[in-house]
Amino acid sequence: MTYTIEELLAARVSAELEDGGLGFIGLGTGGRSFVFAVGIPSIAIALAHRRGIDFIAQYGVALEPDIENAPGCFEDRNLLAWPAAANLPVETCLDGFKRGKMTVGFISGAQIDKFGNLNSVAIGDYHKPKVRLVGAIAQPDHAANAKRTIIILPHSRRTFVEKVDYRSGFGFGDGPGHRERLGLIGGGPSKVFTDLAVLDFEPESCRMRVVSVHPGVTREQVVAETGFELIWPDDVPVTPRPTAEEVAAIREIDKDGKFLNGRIF
Amino acid sequence: MPSTGIPERLVSVEEAIAAIPDGASVAIGGHTLRRHPMALVREIIRQGKRGLHLLGWNNGIDMDMLVGAGCARVVETSYVGMGALGLARNMRRAVESGQVETVDHSETTAIDMFRATALGVDFLPNRTPLGTDLMTYNDGLVEITSPFTGQTYAAVRGVQPDFAILHAHTADVHGNVQLDEANWYDNSVDSFIGRAATHVIVSVEQIVSTDYVRSHPRQTYLPREYVTAVVHAPFGAHPCCCDARYGYDQAELRAYYEASKSAETFDAYLTDRVRSVRDHWEYLDKVGVAGLLTAATRPSVTQGAVQA
Repeated sequence: MTYTIEELLAARVSAELEDGGLGFIGLGTGGRSFVFAVGIPSIAIALAHRRGIDFIAQYGVALEPDIENAPGCFEDRNLLAWPAAANLPVETCLDGFKRGKMTVGFISGAQIDKFGNLNSVAIGDYHKPKVRLVGAIAQPDHAANAKRTIIILPHSRRTFVEKVDYRSGFGFGDGPGHRERLGLIGGGPSKVFTDLAVLDFEPESCRMRVVSVHPGVTREQVVAETGFELIWPDDVPVTPRPTAEEVAAIREIDKDGKFLNGRIF
Repeated sequence: MPSTGIPERLVSVEEAIAAIPDGASVAIGGHTLRRHPMALVREIIRQGKRGLHLLGWNNGIDMDMLVGAGCARVVETSYVGMGALGLARNMRRAVESGQVETVDHSETTAIDMFRATALGVDFLPNRTPLGTDLMTYNDGLVEITSPFTGQTYAAVRGVQPDFAILHAHTADVHGNVQLDEANWYDNSVDSFIGRAATHVIVSVEQIVSTDYVRSHPRQTYLPREYVTAVVHAPFGAHPCCCDARYGYDQAELRAYYEASKSAETFDAYLTDRVRSVRDHWEYLDKVGVAGLLTAATRPSVTQGAVQA
C-alpha cells in the first residue's frame, strides 16, 4: 500500500505513546510547521486511542477534545463548541507543566543541534539576526518540564546544525549531566522524527544517534542533510512502514486533510 | 445601594489613547489573533505614538501592526506571529534591521511577569528558562536558589506597564468589565495584565447598565478599581476573533498578510485602513456591514464538527 511520509511519521510517533500518558499540543503556526508540530502528533494520538491506549491529549486549553471531529478553523467560537472533558484557564494548563503533569511534549523548531537543543527565536546574531523567527512560545516549557519530548521537524543541513544560534528549547544543553545540574524536572528529548529518519540520544554522551532510516532513504542522504556527526548503529535498520490498517485508519481520521495537509486556518 | 458618587469612566477611543505618551510601556491583551484590542491599536497608530515598549504573552497582528507603523521601540513577549498565515513580516523586518529590540520569553515567563505584579510580589520562581538563551538576553530572568530546598530557579521579574490595553465583551460606564460565559480560556491572561498595569484602557463590544452588571456579578473579571477608561468599540477586535461573538475576518487577515510583504505595500494598507479613517466608527463603515456580519454569522468552515 502506498503511503505518505506524514502517514509514516504519524504511525511511528503513535507507537511511542503510553497508557496513562498526557501529551500537550499547541495550536501551532501555519503551513509545514503546523503539520510537524500539530498535525502529526494529533493523528498519532487519535491512532493510539483506536488501539485502546488511554492517552490524554491537551490541546491548548482544551483537555481531551474530539480529535476525529476537529473544527476546520481554530477560531474561538469553533473551539468553544468543540466537545472536550475540560476547558481550563491557560495559566492553569501551563502550571500543570511545571507541576510535572506532562509526560510527552511534542515540539519542533527551526534549528536542532547534536544535543537536541532547539531554536525558534533567531537565526544568526540575536541582536541583528539574519532571520527573526516567531519566538519561543511554549517550546522552552515543554523542553524543560515534560517527562520526555518528541521532536518532529524536517531534516536538512539548515535545520540540523552543530550548535543552535539561540537555545530556546533545552535538550541536553552542553552534554551529559547538564540537565541534572540545573535541576530540570523533565527528562529531555527521547526521539527525533524527520522526513528521512528516526533518531534518539546515546545515554552516555547525550549525542544524537540514528535509530532507523526511512524506506528508500540512504545513509549518504542523511549524512548530507545533517550538519554534525551522528552516531550510527553497525547495521542501520529501516523504519517500519505503516501497515495497511494504520494507513486506512489515518485516512478515516484525517479524511479532509486538516492535520496532515495543514488545512486548519 | 451603591454610592451616588461613583465616577464614570466611559470615554471616546481618541480620548483614552491620547493619555498614552511617547515612550510609554504598553501591555496588550489577547492571544495570537484572538481578542486583541485592535480598535485601540489602530488609534495608537492614528495618533502617531513613538518609542513604545510593547509587552504581551502571545501576540500577532496587534504587535506586528504597531511595529509596521513605527510606533514601537521594544517588543517583549513569547511570540509574534500570524497564526496559520505564517511569520509576522513587519516584525521580522524591524528586528532584522535593528529598528526594534526584542526581549524574549517563554509562555510561562511572559505570564509570570504580569502574574507576579498582580499577586503583589516583585518576582515569581520558574524553572523553565534555566540553561536557555532566554536568560542570556533577558535581564528580567535571573538565577536564584530556593531557601527551602536549594533548587535553582529563574526569578521572573514582575512588570508594571504604564498602560494595559484590553478588549472585552461588556462593561458599565463605571468600568466594571465583563466577559460572556462563553470566553475562550487562551485569553485568561488578560486578567493578570489588567491587574499589573498602572493605567488600564478597556474597549468593549457593548456598554451595559450598572443594573445589568450587578445582576450578573460573576461575569465581571476586572472590577472598576483596576480600570482607568472604558471605550465602546463594537467589533473592536476585528479582524481577530472574539470568543462566541464573532470569528476571524479571514479575507481581511489575508489582505493584511499580503500587504505586509513589503514596507511600501504595508504603508499603503495603513493609509487605507487606519490613517485615512477618522475613528473606529468610520473604520466599521469601511469594512462594511456585510463584512462584519459575515465574520459574525457565516456558517463555520468547520468540516464535520459541531458548529457554533
